[in-house]
Amino acid sequence: MELRGIKEALEASVIAGADWLDGEVEHVYASDLMSDVLAFGEPNSVLLTGLAAQQAVISAHMAAFKGVVFVRGKRPKDTSEQYALDNHLVLLSSTLDMYDACIRIEFPQRQACADPADADHGPKAGAILLQREFVIRGGDFAEAGLVSTEVKSLLKKIGFNPGLVRRVAICTYEGEMNVVMHARRGKVSLTVAPDVISVGIDDEGKGIPDVGLAMEQGFTTATEEMRAMGFGSGMGLPNIKNNSDELKIASEVDKGTTLRMKFLT
Amino acid sequence: MMTRDLLEKVGLKPLSQFTDRAVEGVFISDMVSDVMAGAKSGNLWLTVQTHKSIVPAANLVDVAAIVITSGKQVPQETVDLASKYDIAILSTGLATFDLVSKLQACGLGGN
Repeated sequence: MELRGIKEALEASVIAGADWLDGEVEHVYASDLMSDVLAFGEPNSVLLTGLAAQQAVISAHMAAFKGVVFVRGKRPKDTSEQYALDNHLVLLSSTLDMYDACIRIEFPQRQACADPADADHGPKAGAILLQREFVIRGGDFAEAGLVSTEVKSLLKKIGFNPGLVRRVAICTYEGEMNVVMHARRGKVSLTVAPDVISVGIDDEGKGIPDVGLAMEQGFTTATEEMRAMGFGSGMGLPNIKNNSDELKIASEVDKGTTLRMKFLT
Repeated sequence: MMTRDLLEKVGLKPLSQFTDRAVEGVFISDMVSDVMAGAKSGNLWLTVQTHKSIVPAANLVDVAAIVITSGKQVPQETVDLASKYDIAILSTGLATFDLVSKLQACGLGGN
Protein backbone atom coordinates (compact mmCIF):
# COMPACT_ATOMS: atom_id res chain seq x y z
CA MET A 1 0.00 0.00 0.00
CA GLU A 2 1.22 3.51 -0.80
CA LEU A 3 1.64 6.03 2.01
CA ARG A 4 -0.81 8.16 0.04
CA GLY A 5 -3.49 5.51 0.60
CA ILE A 6 -2.81 5.58 4.32
CA LYS A 7 -2.94 9.36 4.36
CA GLU A 8 -6.35 9.29 2.66
CA ALA A 9 -7.75 6.46 4.80
CA LEU A 10 -6.78 8.31 7.97
CA GLU A 11 -7.74 11.77 6.64
CA ALA A 12 -4.28 12.78 7.72
CA SER A 13 -2.38 15.98 7.07
CA VAL A 14 1.23 15.92 5.93
CA ILE A 15 3.83 17.28 8.33
CA ALA A 16 6.84 16.28 6.25
CA GLY A 17 7.64 14.39 3.06
CA ALA A 18 4.74 15.36 0.76
CA ASP A 19 6.93 14.34 -2.20
CA TRP A 20 7.40 10.79 -0.93
CA LEU A 21 3.78 9.71 -0.56
CA ASP A 22 4.23 7.17 -3.36
CA GLY A 23 6.43 5.13 -1.00
CA GLU A 24 5.17 1.55 -0.55
CA VAL A 25 4.62 0.24 2.95
CA GLU A 26 4.28 -3.47 3.67
CA HIS A 27 3.25 -3.48 7.33
CA VAL A 28 1.73 -1.35 10.06
CA TYR A 29 3.09 -1.19 13.59
CA ALA A 30 0.95 0.49 16.24
CA SER A 31 2.70 1.41 19.48
CA ASP A 32 3.77 4.25 21.73
CA LEU A 33 6.69 2.27 23.14
CA MET A 34 9.77 2.78 21.06
CA SER A 35 11.69 -0.27 22.22
CA ASP A 36 8.80 -2.37 20.92
CA VAL A 37 9.05 -0.65 17.58
CA LEU A 38 12.75 -1.51 17.53
CA ALA A 39 12.17 -5.08 18.71
CA PHE A 40 9.15 -6.14 16.66
CA GLY A 41 8.65 -3.63 13.85
CA GLU A 42 9.46 -4.91 10.38
CA PRO A 43 11.31 -2.97 7.68
CA ASN A 44 9.15 -0.92 5.29
CA SER A 45 6.42 -0.44 7.88
CA VAL A 46 4.52 2.68 8.83
CA LEU A 47 4.41 3.51 12.53
CA LEU A 48 1.14 4.60 14.13
CA THR A 49 1.90 6.29 17.42
CA GLY A 50 0.66 8.75 19.99
CA LEU A 51 4.20 9.66 21.00
CA ALA A 52 4.61 13.13 19.49
CA ALA A 53 8.35 13.37 19.91
CA GLN A 54 11.48 13.11 17.82
CA GLN A 55 12.27 9.77 19.50
CA ALA A 56 9.34 8.25 17.59
CA VAL A 57 10.76 9.48 14.28
CA ILE A 58 14.29 8.36 15.11
CA SER A 59 13.01 4.92 16.18
CA ALA A 60 11.12 4.59 12.90
CA HIS A 61 14.24 5.53 10.96
CA MET A 62 16.44 3.09 12.92
CA ALA A 63 13.93 0.30 12.26
CA ALA A 64 13.91 1.12 8.51
CA PHE A 65 10.28 2.31 8.45
CA LYS A 66 8.93 4.53 5.67
CA GLY A 67 6.88 6.91 7.76
CA VAL A 68 5.13 7.84 10.98
CA VAL A 69 1.48 8.73 11.59
CA PHE A 70 0.80 10.64 14.80
CA VAL A 71 -2.69 9.74 16.00
CA ARG A 72 -5.07 11.46 18.44
CA GLY A 73 -4.38 14.76 16.65
CA LYS A 74 -0.84 14.94 17.94
CA ARG A 75 1.91 16.88 16.22
CA PRO A 76 5.49 16.95 17.43
CA LYS A 77 6.66 20.39 18.51
CA ASP A 78 10.37 19.61 18.40
CA THR A 79 12.77 19.14 15.47
CA SER A 80 10.97 16.00 14.19
CA GLU A 81 10.03 17.62 10.89
CA GLN A 82 13.60 18.52 9.98
CA TYR A 83 14.84 15.10 11.09
CA ALA A 84 12.24 13.43 8.84
CA LEU A 85 13.21 15.57 5.87
CA ASP A 86 16.91 14.86 6.43
CA ASN A 87 16.29 11.12 6.61
CA HIS A 88 13.62 10.63 3.94
CA LEU A 89 10.66 9.82 6.18
CA VAL A 90 7.03 10.82 5.72
CA LEU A 91 5.30 12.31 8.77
CA LEU A 92 1.51 12.47 8.94
CA SER A 93 -0.93 13.60 11.59
CA SER A 94 -4.45 12.24 12.03
CA THR A 95 -7.17 13.22 14.47
CA LEU A 96 -8.37 9.60 14.68
CA ASP A 97 -7.56 7.62 17.78
CA MET A 98 -5.38 4.54 17.45
CA TYR A 99 -8.21 2.02 17.24
CA ASP A 100 -10.07 3.82 14.46
CA ALA A 101 -6.80 4.39 12.61
CA CYS A 102 -5.99 0.67 12.74
CA ILE A 103 -9.47 -0.24 11.52
CA ARG A 104 -9.32 2.13 8.55
CA ILE A 105 -6.13 0.70 7.14
CA GLU A 106 -7.33 -2.13 4.93
CA PHE A 107 -4.31 -4.30 4.60
CA PRO A 108 -3.97 -7.48 2.62
CA GLN A 109 -3.19 -10.49 4.79
CA ARG A 110 0.15 -10.04 6.52
CA GLN A 111 2.78 -11.94 4.65
CA ALA A 112 5.60 -13.99 6.09
CA CYS A 113 8.38 -11.55 6.67
CA ALA A 114 11.28 -12.01 4.34
CA ASP A 115 13.38 -8.89 4.02
CA PRO A 116 14.01 -8.63 0.28
CA ALA A 117 16.49 -5.87 0.97
CA ASP A 118 18.72 -8.42 2.73
CA ALA A 119 19.28 -10.35 -0.43
CA ASP A 120 21.25 -7.80 -2.37
CA HIS A 121 24.61 -6.09 -2.09
CA GLY A 122 27.17 -6.62 0.66
CA PRO A 123 30.02 -4.21 1.42
CA LYS A 124 31.83 -2.90 -1.60
CA ALA A 125 35.07 -4.66 -2.33
CA GLY A 126 38.02 -2.98 -0.68
CA ALA A 127 35.87 -1.03 1.79
CA ILE A 128 38.11 1.15 3.88
CA LEU A 129 38.34 0.76 7.62
CA LEU A 130 36.40 3.46 9.38
CA GLN A 131 36.90 4.54 12.96
CA ARG A 132 34.82 7.22 14.64
CA GLU A 133 34.01 8.42 18.14
CA PHE A 134 30.92 10.26 19.33
CA VAL A 135 29.97 11.82 22.66
CA ILE A 136 26.57 11.35 24.34
CA ARG A 137 25.38 13.72 27.06
CA GLY A 138 23.38 12.10 29.86
CA GLY A 139 19.92 13.59 30.38
CA ASP A 140 19.92 15.36 27.00
CA PHE A 141 16.69 14.00 25.54
CA ALA A 142 16.59 16.61 22.77
CA GLU A 143 19.78 15.24 21.21
CA ALA A 144 19.11 11.59 22.06
CA GLY A 145 19.34 9.37 19.01
CA LEU A 146 21.44 11.65 16.84
CA VAL A 147 24.63 9.61 17.33
CA SER A 148 22.83 6.46 16.16
CA THR A 149 21.44 8.37 13.20
CA GLU A 150 24.98 9.39 12.19
CA VAL A 151 26.22 5.79 12.62
CA LYS A 152 23.39 4.50 10.43
CA SER A 153 24.11 7.07 7.78
CA LEU A 154 27.84 6.25 7.71
CA LEU A 155 27.21 2.50 7.35
CA LYS A 156 24.61 3.06 4.65
CA LYS A 157 27.08 5.15 2.65
CA ILE A 158 29.69 2.40 2.80
CA GLY A 159 27.11 0.12 1.19
CA PHE A 160 26.40 -2.53 3.81
CA ASN A 161 23.13 -4.38 3.30
CA PRO A 162 20.08 -2.66 4.82
CA GLY A 163 19.28 -5.54 7.18
CA LEU A 164 22.72 -5.34 8.77
CA VAL A 165 22.64 -1.54 8.96
CA ARG A 166 19.26 -1.81 10.66
CA ARG A 167 20.58 -4.22 13.30
CA VAL A 168 23.55 -1.96 14.11
CA ALA A 169 21.27 1.10 14.18
CA ILE A 170 18.80 -0.50 16.60
CA CYS A 171 21.52 -1.65 19.01
CA THR A 172 23.34 1.67 18.93
CA TYR A 173 20.11 3.56 19.54
CA GLU A 174 19.10 1.41 22.51
CA GLY A 175 22.60 1.82 23.94
CA GLU A 176 22.52 5.56 23.34
CA MET A 177 19.12 5.87 25.07
CA ASN A 178 20.47 3.94 28.07
CA VAL A 179 23.27 6.49 28.43
CA VAL A 180 20.86 9.43 28.07
CA MET A 181 18.46 7.95 30.63
CA HIS A 182 20.85 6.52 33.18
CA ALA A 183 24.35 8.02 32.91
CA ARG A 184 26.13 11.38 33.08
CA ARG A 185 27.99 11.04 29.82
CA GLY A 186 29.07 8.39 27.37
CA LYS A 187 31.26 7.70 24.38
CA VAL A 188 30.37 5.66 21.30
CA SER A 189 33.22 4.08 19.31
CA LEU A 190 32.46 2.77 15.86
CA THR A 191 34.99 0.55 14.10
CA VAL A 192 34.23 -0.81 10.67
CA ALA A 193 36.22 -3.60 9.06
CA PRO A 194 35.17 -5.44 5.90
CA ASP A 195 34.09 -8.52 7.89
CA VAL A 196 32.90 -7.05 11.18
CA ILE A 197 31.36 -3.85 12.56
CA SER A 198 32.15 -3.13 16.22
CA VAL A 199 30.31 -0.63 18.38
CA GLY A 200 31.49 0.19 21.89
CA ILE A 201 29.52 2.35 24.33
CA ASP A 202 31.27 3.45 27.52
CA ASP A 203 29.46 5.56 30.06
CA GLU A 204 30.16 7.28 33.34
CA GLY A 205 27.20 6.82 35.62
CA LYS A 206 25.53 4.77 38.27
CA GLY A 207 26.27 1.41 36.65
CA ILE A 208 24.16 -1.76 36.73
CA PRO A 209 24.21 -3.71 40.03
CA ASP A 210 23.05 -6.99 38.47
CA VAL A 211 23.74 -7.35 34.74
CA GLY A 212 22.00 -10.74 34.56
CA LEU A 213 18.80 -9.24 35.91
CA ALA A 214 19.08 -6.22 33.59
CA MET A 215 19.25 -8.60 30.61
CA GLU A 216 15.83 -10.05 31.45
CA GLN A 217 13.00 -8.83 29.26
CA GLY A 218 10.72 -6.51 31.21
CA PHE A 219 13.21 -5.60 33.94
CA THR A 220 13.40 -1.83 34.23
CA THR A 221 14.62 0.92 36.52
CA ALA A 222 13.15 3.67 34.34
CA THR A 223 11.16 6.52 35.81
CA GLU A 224 7.66 7.57 34.78
CA GLU A 225 9.22 10.40 32.73
CA MET A 226 11.32 7.94 30.74
CA ARG A 227 8.31 5.75 30.08
CA ALA A 228 6.49 8.82 28.83
CA MET A 229 9.27 9.09 26.23
CA GLY A 230 8.35 5.62 24.99
CA PHE A 231 11.34 3.96 26.58
CA GLY A 232 12.08 2.11 29.78
CA SER A 233 9.85 -0.93 29.24
CA GLY A 234 12.73 -3.29 29.96
CA MET A 235 13.39 -4.15 26.33
CA GLY A 236 16.65 -2.29 25.72
CA LEU A 237 19.37 -4.78 26.59
CA PRO A 238 17.38 -7.81 25.35
CA ASN A 239 16.87 -5.90 22.08
CA ILE A 240 20.60 -5.34 21.77
CA LYS A 241 21.34 -9.00 22.48
CA ASN A 242 18.85 -10.18 19.85
CA ASN A 243 20.17 -7.85 17.16
CA SER A 244 23.92 -8.28 17.67
CA ASP A 245 26.20 -11.23 16.91
CA GLU A 246 28.22 -10.71 20.06
CA LEU A 247 27.49 -8.65 23.16
CA LYS A 248 29.71 -8.13 26.19
CA ILE A 249 28.59 -6.00 29.13
CA ALA A 250 30.70 -4.95 32.08
CA SER A 251 29.45 -2.64 34.78
CA GLU A 252 30.65 -1.22 38.06
CA VAL A 253 28.21 0.47 40.44
CA ASP A 254 28.79 4.25 40.72
CA LYS A 255 31.42 4.12 37.95
CA GLY A 256 29.72 3.16 34.72
CA THR A 257 28.88 0.56 32.12
CA THR A 258 30.63 -0.63 28.98
CA LEU A 259 28.95 -2.39 26.06
CA ARG A 260 30.91 -4.17 23.34
CA MET A 261 28.83 -5.19 20.34
CA LYS A 262 29.92 -7.01 17.19
CA PHE A 263 28.06 -7.48 13.95
CA LEU A 264 29.34 -9.87 11.29
CA THR A 265 28.95 -8.46 7.80
CA MET B 1 -20.56 -7.88 24.72
CA MET B 2 -19.22 -9.10 28.07
CA THR B 3 -15.58 -9.47 29.05
CA ARG B 4 -15.84 -13.26 29.22
CA ASP B 5 -17.35 -13.44 25.70
CA LEU B 6 -14.15 -11.93 24.39
CA LEU B 7 -11.96 -14.63 25.89
CA GLU B 8 -13.31 -17.25 23.56
CA LYS B 9 -14.23 -15.13 20.55
CA VAL B 10 -10.90 -13.36 20.27
CA GLY B 11 -8.70 -15.86 22.05
CA LEU B 12 -7.64 -13.77 25.04
CA LYS B 13 -6.10 -15.34 28.12
CA PRO B 14 -7.25 -14.05 31.53
CA LEU B 15 -4.41 -13.29 33.97
CA SER B 16 -6.14 -11.58 36.92
CA GLN B 17 -9.28 -12.29 38.97
CA PHE B 18 -12.21 -10.16 37.86
CA THR B 19 -15.97 -9.80 37.74
CA ASP B 20 -17.57 -10.10 34.29
CA ARG B 21 -18.86 -6.80 32.90
CA ALA B 22 -19.99 -5.14 29.66
CA VAL B 23 -17.40 -3.90 27.16
CA GLU B 24 -18.12 -0.83 25.04
CA GLY B 25 -15.54 0.50 22.62
CA VAL B 26 -11.80 0.17 22.41
CA PHE B 27 -8.97 2.53 23.32
CA ILE B 28 -5.35 1.94 22.36
CA SER B 29 -2.39 3.66 23.98
CA ASP B 30 0.84 2.79 25.71
CA MET B 31 0.98 6.12 27.45
CA VAL B 32 -0.84 6.22 30.73
CA SER B 33 -1.45 9.96 30.50
CA ASP B 34 -3.27 9.51 27.17
CA VAL B 35 -5.45 6.79 28.64
CA MET B 36 -6.37 9.05 31.53
CA ALA B 37 -7.23 11.78 29.02
CA GLY B 38 -9.01 9.78 26.34
CA ALA B 39 -10.32 6.38 27.44
CA LYS B 40 -13.94 6.05 28.54
CA SER B 41 -15.68 3.96 31.15
CA GLY B 42 -16.29 0.44 29.84
CA ASN B 43 -13.59 0.62 27.14
CA LEU B 44 -11.27 -2.25 26.36
CA TRP B 45 -7.74 -0.84 26.78
CA LEU B 46 -5.06 -2.32 24.50
CA THR B 47 -1.44 -1.74 25.49
CA VAL B 48 2.03 -3.25 25.66
CA GLN B 49 2.70 -1.55 29.00
CA THR B 50 2.94 -4.05 31.81
CA HIS B 51 4.21 -1.83 34.62
CA LYS B 52 1.93 -1.87 37.67
CA SER B 53 1.06 1.81 37.08
CA ILE B 54 -1.45 0.63 34.45
CA VAL B 55 -3.71 -0.71 37.22
CA PRO B 56 -4.45 2.58 39.03
CA ALA B 57 -4.98 4.21 35.62
CA ALA B 58 -7.45 1.51 34.56
CA ASN B 59 -9.20 1.83 37.90
CA LEU B 60 -9.52 5.61 37.67
CA VAL B 61 -10.81 5.61 34.09
CA ASP B 62 -12.96 2.56 34.86
CA VAL B 63 -12.00 0.60 31.74
CA ALA B 64 -13.70 -2.79 31.39
CA ALA B 65 -10.40 -4.63 30.87
CA ILE B 66 -6.75 -4.21 30.01
CA VAL B 67 -5.50 -6.30 27.09
CA ILE B 68 -1.73 -6.80 26.99
CA THR B 69 -0.70 -7.43 23.38
CA SER B 70 2.41 -8.80 21.63
CA GLY B 71 2.70 -11.67 24.12
CA LYS B 72 4.30 -9.44 26.75
CA GLN B 73 5.09 -11.10 30.06
CA VAL B 74 3.10 -9.37 32.77
CA PRO B 75 4.87 -9.07 36.16
CA GLN B 76 3.14 -10.88 39.01
CA GLU B 77 2.87 -7.66 41.04
CA THR B 78 0.83 -6.08 38.23
CA VAL B 79 -1.51 -9.09 38.11
CA ASP B 80 -1.88 -9.16 41.91
CA LEU B 81 -2.66 -5.47 42.05
CA ALA B 82 -5.26 -5.89 39.29
CA SER B 83 -6.94 -8.77 41.11
CA LYS B 84 -7.05 -6.66 44.26
CA TYR B 85 -8.95 -3.88 42.44
CA ASP B 86 -11.10 -6.24 40.35
CA ILE B 87 -9.48 -5.12 37.08
CA ALA B 88 -9.41 -7.69 34.27
CA ILE B 89 -5.99 -8.21 32.68
CA LEU B 90 -6.17 -10.28 29.50
CA SER B 91 -3.29 -11.29 27.28
CA THR B 92 -2.70 -12.11 23.61
CA GLY B 93 0.29 -13.04 21.49
CA LEU B 94 -1.03 -10.85 18.65
CA ALA B 95 0.42 -7.41 17.95
CA THR B 96 -1.95 -4.52 18.60
CA PHE B 97 -2.60 -3.88 14.89
CA ASP B 98 -3.47 -7.54 14.29
CA LEU B 99 -5.81 -7.76 17.27
CA VAL B 100 -7.82 -4.76 16.03
CA SER B 101 -9.32 -6.57 13.05
CA LYS B 102 -10.54 -9.40 15.32
CA LEU B 103 -12.16 -6.94 17.73
CA GLN B 104 -13.80 -5.14 14.87
CA ALA B 105 -15.16 -8.45 13.58
CA CYS B 106 -16.79 -8.90 17.03
CA GLY B 107 -18.59 -5.62 16.50
CA LEU B 108 -16.55 -3.44 18.85
CA GLY B 109 -16.33 0.18 17.81
CA GLY B 110 -14.03 2.99 18.87
CA ASN B 111 -14.63 4.88 22.05
